[in-house]
Amino acid sequence: MKNSLKSIVSLHSDLVSGKVSSSDLIHESLKRSHKLQDECNAFVTIMDEMSGSVNDNLLSGIPYGIKDNYSTKGILSTGSSNTLKDYVPFFSATAVSNLEKLGAVPVNKTVLDEFGMGGTGTTGHTGVVLNPWDKTRMCAGSSAGSACAVAAGVYPYALGSDTGDSIRKPAAYCGVVGYKPTYGMISRYGLFPFASSLDTCGVLTRSVEDAAIVVDGMKGIDSNDMTSWDSSSVHLFDSLDGNVKGKKLCYVKELCDINNYPDATDELKEHLSNFFETLEKCKSLGMSVREVSIDQKLLNAVGSVYVVISCAEATSNMSNLTGISFGPRSEGDNYHDMMKNYRTKGFCSLIKRRFVIGSYVLQAENKDRYFFNAQRARRLIVDRWKELFKEYDAVILPVGSGPAKFLDDSKNSKISNIEPLEEHLQIGNFGGFPSITIPNGFVSGLPVGVNITGNCYDDVNVLNIAYALEGSMDYKGMVARGYDYEV
Amino acid sequence: MGKFTKEMVNDYAEKLLIGLTDEENLMVLSEFDKIDSDINVINEIDGIDKVLPMSWCLDDFSCELREDIAEESISIDEVVGNCDDYRVCEIKIPKVVGNNEE
Repeated sequence: MKNSLKSIVSLHSDLVSGKVSSSDLIHESLKRSHKLQDECNAFVTIMDEMSGSVNDNLLSGIPYGIKDNYSTKGILSTGSSNTLKDYVPFFSATAVSNLEKLGAVPVNKTVLDEFGMGGTGTTGHTGVVLNPWDKTRMCAGSSAGSACAVAAGVYPYALGSDTGDSIRKPAAYCGVVGYKPTYGMISRYGLFPFASSLDTCGVLTRSVEDAAIVVDGMKGIDSNDMTSWDSSSVHLFDSLDGNVKGKKLCYVKELCDINNYPDATDELKEHLSNFFETLEKCKSLGMSVREVSIDQKLLNAVGSVYVVISCAEATSNMSNLTGISFGPRSEGDNYHDMMKNYRTKGFCSLIKRRFVIGSYVLQAENKDRYFFNAQRARRLIVDRWKELFKEYDAVILPVGSGPAKFLDDSKNSKISNIEPLEEHLQIGNFGGFPSITIPNGFVSGLPVGVNITGNCYDDVNVLNIAYALEGSMDYKGMVARGYDYEV
Repeated sequence: MGKFTKEMVNDYAEKLLIGLTDEENLMVLSEFDKIDSDINVINEIDGIDKVLPMSWCLDDFSCELREDIAEESISIDEVVGNCDDYRVCEIKIPKVVGNNEE
């Protein structure tokens, strides 16, 4: 019985009818976890002793995974960093507590790029996460382990966090659904902060329906997070009706026109061709799709804006990592040397470099040229997207330039002008927009994704468009090739 | 190489209590050059200097002051549970005053 591959609604029905028990599901999920750990290195911790029971809530008794940058009471929470390799929180993140109250059962903590600062799934302190579809490829990041585990059928869902595209790109690379709700719908309390103005909690699943159910369980206003808001009137799962007739979508010409990429690879050509086939499916569902044009200067600025703002915020957020009051203490004759040794040895090279960049752009003499100008460009980009949302229900765009990239970067083709296509998901974080990636086909035998992004607080609309589109394609509930096995 | 130097990079790293290898220093230098050219992209945007910097994506936060009511706090054991060196309820660090006297 391949319980782990079923939807949440189906599992709940089986649990309520007694066809399967929660301990059966947990046992199966743990067996899959250990097998996947050997093959793809998706987990920091596997909790073998968990148990669950069933109640009225759809999530009760069902196992799930937690990205290791969520604080979990009494359970190792490392952020995939050597600086917190022995850290055990005395409280749980609000999103995790909310799920716990509903009876959801966490069975593992998943690997991420160190503190979420990376897009490859290769910088976690426990090693590289391999893509279950092709182990020479990356999962992308930073929610690499969560995407890997959901794609490999370990459980129906895993928690992720998204600062630039950390849920939505791994989802595309692994052939699953990745949903980042409107900023503040889910409390960030207990999520290790990376860039606070961009960080968003979310989920990776194998269907839009499951994503709606899980975020219904995670969300809610929280006095411990002043940026959270009251979403008690929003019922994502109950609002899914697939009725999208008359909805208006747009896509950005400058990102999707193959003529903008003079040295396009066959994979990019196929990816964009597949995207336009997806647009035809949208039209067949009764939606209109229009091409819009965006100032290329704004699109070119996206990556720089993200680097400057995220590095600056990260530098500040992680200044509390000293190894003195928590974390493994380093040697030193004085507290200054102890902290410097701890930070020098504990952080990976990428993080250290980003911190230095963050420090540089925040210096008084540099702040206006770099940090404030990045924040100004952020506003211009967000304002342009909000103009689109006055006329359109959502922006639909391809995710990245094709399927998962090779871990060996020398095997990856270099394409001119590709950065805006690779980085446009960051706009969702600039504006706090609800944004979801769903699988929309295969290129080179590997899954690729399409992204739908709407205006703030319009999550129901975004999910409904994704739900209808998903229903018109054949990729709902997909697991990676070779992982559709009996336990 | 542009206007950035190895010494500058080490100075910024030192402010963060981070040590860089020579290899890491070189990588930061090339990244600085990239960021500097990228920032020129931003500076080319028409009227950029007249735009209000955007610090947060939502501008309708509702902040309420909590009532000044004492609540049960966490135990000392939990606070020091992740500390590698403490005595009773105090975190130990090397002596600060008088430790480096000439």
